[in-house]
Amino acid sequence: MNDDLSLYIDDILNALGDSSEKEVSREELEKELKKFIEYGVPLDHAKQTLIKKFGGSYVPPSTERVLVADLESGQNSVHVLCRVLHVSPKDITVKGEARKIFYGILGDESGSISFTAWKDFELEKGDVVEISNAYTKEWQGDTKLNFGDRTKIEKTDESKIPESIMEPKEYKVKDLRSGLGAVEVTARILELNKREVEVDGQKKNVFSGTLGDETGKAQYTSWHDFKLKEGDVVKIAGGYIKSWKGIPQLTFDEKANVEKVESSTISKKDIAPQKLLLYELVEKRGAMDVEVEGTVLEIRRGSGLVMRCPECNRVLVGTECSIHGSVEGVEDLRIKLVVDDGTGVVSGILDKESTEKLLGKTLDELKKMSETKGEESIVEEMNTILFSHRISLRGNALGDAFGITIIAKDAKLADIDVEVESERISKELEELS
Amino acid sequence: MRRELAWRVFAGEYNDSTLEIKGVGEKTPSHIITPLGSKVNRLFVVGVLTDVENVSEGGEFVRAHISDPTGVFTLYSGQFQQDATDQLLNIDAPAFVAVVGKIRTYTPDDGELYVSIRPETVREVTADARARWILETCRQTKQRIGAVTEAMKMNEPNAGELRNLGYSRELSEGIVAALKEYDTVDISKYLAIVRESLQYITPSKEAAPDLHLEEVIEKKEAKKEAKTKKPAEKKEKASKELKSDDSEETENTVLDAIKKLEGEDGAAWDLIMENCKKAGLDEDSIEEALTSLMDKGFIFEPVLGTIKTT
Repeated sequence: MNDDLSLYIDDILNALGDSSEKEVSREELEKELKKFIEYGVPLDHAKQTLIKKFGGSYVPPSTERVLVADLESGQNSVHVLCRVLHVSPKDITVKGEARKIFYGILGDESGSISFTAWKDFELEKGDVVEISNAYTKEWQGDTKLNFGDRTKIEKTDESKIPESIMEPKEYKVKDLRSGLGAVEVTARILELNKREVEVDGQKKNVFSGTLGDETGKAQYTSWHDFKLKEGDVVKIAGGYIKSWKGIPQLTFDEKANVEKVESSTISKKDIAPQKLLLYELVEKRGAMDVEVEGTVLEIRRGSGLVMRCPECNRVLVGTECSIHGSVEGVEDLRIKLVVDDGTGVVSGILDKESTEKLLGKTLDELKKMSETKGEESIVEEMNTILFSHRISLRGNALGDAFGITIIAKDAKLADIDVEVESERISKELEELS
Repeated sequence: MRRELAWRVFAGEYNDSTLEIKGVGEKTPSHIITPLGSKVNRLFVVGVLTDVENVSEGGEFVRAHISDPTGVFTLYSGQFQQDATDQLLNIDAPAFVAVVGKIRTYTPDDGELYVSIRPETVREVTADARARWILETCRQTKQRIGAVTEAMKMNEPNAGELRNLGYSRELSEGIVAALKEYDTVDISKYLAIVRESLQYITPSKEAAPDLHLEEVIEKKEAKKEAKTKKPAEKKEKASKELKSDDSEETENTVLDAIKKLEGEDGAAWDLIMENCKKAGLDEDSIEEALTSLMDKGFIFEPVLGTIKTT
């Protein structure tokens, strides 16, 4: 009994460690613990209570290690062994207070996962770490790992998760989503830009642009000069995926394996916009170059003739730009609309060209119309032509907390052959029953 | 806050709904779960506006009915939806209209759920718009039938498995909720609804069931052009009543009872029940009659639990 007790006291002292706010003696702990036992409190619970009482944070006996691929959202006290694939700081404001958090990607032999560290654990890329008391949450549809005050992170031997274990996994471009590490993609370089940035006081060339395969397009950033050219078809192994407004961005550096393949593997004409139902797009939270179809359910405020700032292109309020003050505005025309296919809903923004094409009137004609019949007449015209009609939009789909907005490069009313379609449904119905 | 999507659901499915999941707090919206698992907060409907009437004295509060191939949607619109209310009052029924609206529910003391629509947008549209809507609603109803059928095969229907089959998150969640609420979903009824609705848009030798309605509208258009305005008895023509004599008789009994009870402030729900039961009717048929009378616009509910004739 006494031996048992002393083991528990050791545990408590260990847990309190250096972090203990209050000095406490062995004798004192023993006294307290015995009191609890007299009252019939289970030992584990007594131990936990005492650790709390003396200012420590209770760490449950180390749980079994979980593989990243098996993590589910809503788990507490998670224990993982991972390699840090990517980590970046981020300044955020929480309740008016500026805070620095860290986010990145971790991986083990089973896969990879995004994490957010709510304080600085001094993680660095390439570290292999033993993490206990992390918790998981669902964020934007994916499971993410979170490190808070209770989380313990210890650096450990790098050979425990050798880089070679993290065999890159092959993905099609349409399946890329943020948080994936050790990705292998074969794609055609569609656009390539070089720019110079300063990293830790050193100038460095960064190569970025657009790539694509027959399933879709994505952005990429390479921190190493792989002598890529537009039109090359390359196999990139060992990148990871970040995303901006739901648009996946493949990021890789000199550690990646980049290999040119026969350029006919993916010819230019194989690359078409990704066709999606709206719920698919909403659940993906954004994508590059999509083509979607849905019914126009609303012409939103802000549609019609607008004046833009000649400096920054922002829409003016009166003659005022929110950045450049009173300016001589440039006339423009746009439609902001809500498109809904019954499975999901997105916003669309149509530029002057698309608007003129859909309405069959030029900006000047619409301006005249507005002068004679009032501004409202333009919105009425848009409603007459578009409301309750099916429209097809092509462009980049950007996601944020309010949903998806498609910046349309092209927009056209969809052709629907009601007869053919209804016959098809009839046939499918027979198969169903 | 994210915008809620607009479901395509036939009246025949929407009006069968008995489950509402109320949102908690301001930020979570309420949803109606239909028997086929639509998780509806907003809908898009195109159909025939058959009648509009002001149901409140003084203020503007209108009730309107929109007929689709499977049944009738009831709309209530007041001063908080001024644009929609104005539109409803200005459109000359019958007419094809497209409506975007939010769910609206009413639960009398007995706990039954009555569903209707609070319109956000109403616009007069063409017959083509209705054909497109019927097509889309057929397709999506069929899709839901397929999903419910799959879910019923599962040992324990769950959203994860449905999503793996390629159904959207919202539909998957809706179906799981629906299977809990509705003990048996009458799949054959909804299959029939889709089949019948398809006939409206598939040209065939058989005359489309509501051809006379289109005629009414065509005549109306012609009249408009000829500028000869006559008060038409279009309401009678437009409402396609297939009720048996029996239920008509019940409705008359109930209506009489209300008239006797109502006075200036309307008749209490309980009293109507009591009196009609004395007249030999059972609770179910009284309720059915009340719903039907409300749909037809003979009665309305100025205050919860009180019925008045129009």
